[in-house]
Amino acid sequence: MASHVIGPVEEFSEDTHRVVKIRNIEIGVFNIHGTFYALPNVCPHQFGPLCEGRVNGTMACDAGTGWNYVWVRDGEILTCPWHGWEFDIPTGRALARSKVRIRTYPVAIENGQVIVTL
Amino acid sequence: MATPLSVIDTDIHSSYDRRRMLDFLPEPWRTRYASGNDGPGHLGYWNPNGVMRADAVTPDGERIEGNPRHLARYFLDEYGIEYGVLNPERSVHAGLSPDPDYAAAIVSAINDILAADWLPVDPRYRASIIVAPNDPDLAAQEIHRMAANPGFVQVLMPSGARMPYGQRYFNPIYAAAVENDLPVALHPGSEGVGISGAPTAAGYPTNYLEWHTDLVTSYMAHMVSLVTEGAFIKFPTLKFVLIEGGAAWLPPLLWRFDKNWKALRQTTPWLERPPSEYIAEHILLTTQPIEEPDRPEHLRAILEMFPVERMLMFSSDYPHWDGDTPDFAARALPASVRSRVLSETARELYRLPARADHAAGALATTAAAARHD
Repeated sequence: MASHVIGPVEEFSEDTHRVVKIRNIEIGVFNIHGTFYALPNVCPHQFGPLCEGRVNGTMACDAGTGWNYVWVRDGEILTCPWHGWEFDIPTGRALARSKVRIRTYPVAIENGQVIVTL
Repeated sequence: MATPLSVIDTDIHSSYDRRRMLDFLPEPWRTRYASGNDGPGHLGYWNPNGVMRADAVTPDGERIEGNPRHLARYFLDEYGIEYGVLNPERSVHAGLSPDPDYAAAIVSAINDILAADWLPVDPRYRASIIVAPNDPDLAAQEIHRMAANPGFVQVLMPSGARMPYGQRYFNPIYAAAVENDLPVALHPGSEGVGISGAPTAAGYPTNYLEWHTDLVTSYMAHMVSLVTEGAFIKFPTLKFVLIEGGAAWLPPLLWRFDKNWKALRQTTPWLERPPSEYIAEHILLTTQPIEEPDRPEHLRAILEMFPVERMLMFSSDYPHWDGDTPDFAARALPASVRSRVLSETARELYRLPARADHAAGALATTAAAARHD
């Protein structure tokens, strides 16, 4: 476990994400509504560059919505650019496969700097 | 991986610029195409992630599949691919236009673009001769026109169809193909488009997930038709390639087909052997989208149920959303057939010489090789 300063908080504006390199490891850093998350930039499926994918929400539709489509979780779902696997950014869980969960790295803000712990 | 492996990719989707098409389309088709009428189009099913992989761009943001040098640099080089067969984006749909002359003109222009802009650029490129099958005589003419160029290694038709491809209506296409020693390949994605039948036997599905999952059913129908109608008796050297259908569906169909034939043999007296034997000799499948059961040994068991070493060839489908990387496909295969599937069966079918400038064993097995940074 080691903490790495990856840059001033101003460089990670709200509701954006980007990939940073820590040693030789690519990490996606996400600012979701002001809360920071970090995930490995590799998809467990075919090893695609997961965190280069887009972040948005997903669709829900069940008895609770009257079987109408409803857009939910906006800004919290990461989609791999290769095959479209969706991941819940806060937990790292794959939406389609509950047993698949990628690592999540702790992120802290100290003295205006974003710090990721690997 | 202990053994160095070559990779021949049997399904890569290059694209072409609409404006470039105008350079090869004669009138009156040129004016028609320039007006925006470029064939029967799609049914409008929606893939929320896009059919084209979003990350298939160069560092400058250009689409990799749109430029022959980019595709060579950022795909063939990255994976050490020895040869790649180009099946251009949007090319087979044109064959389902209700207007056979216009369909023939469009596919000819696409073939001309392949010959002028792609094949000369890199010795690793091979390509399919796109034909519009619903006028078989025009399709045969197109095969004869392009076959002299050794860069073209097969004939390509849509698997969306008006009728099953074993019917003798299509014989002129097969006659032209075997005369030129070319296999005939099908590619899915046009099911339900233009003058093809409904995309499934049950009718029109509602969404893309459903439509895409059901695509393989048209392969089942064409395969059974080709064998039953005796296409491989009439054309003993004819080979058929079913691109992008995966493989796991095949064994149960073979069993069902052989069982029925034993009782109904007299209705097809030209079939002297069980249908599965003709299929093993004349039909090849490509791996992608390779099935991904939760327990990988289930797929391996299925791959023991038909002659994989002669029937299955690697395909990536790059840069589509459901593509397979060579290393992913290689891991799914038993070691005993990897070399056959990844390169050697395709090398024999398409008569591809071993390339002196190609380092065998370039198969990338790391995630980093999949990216260009």
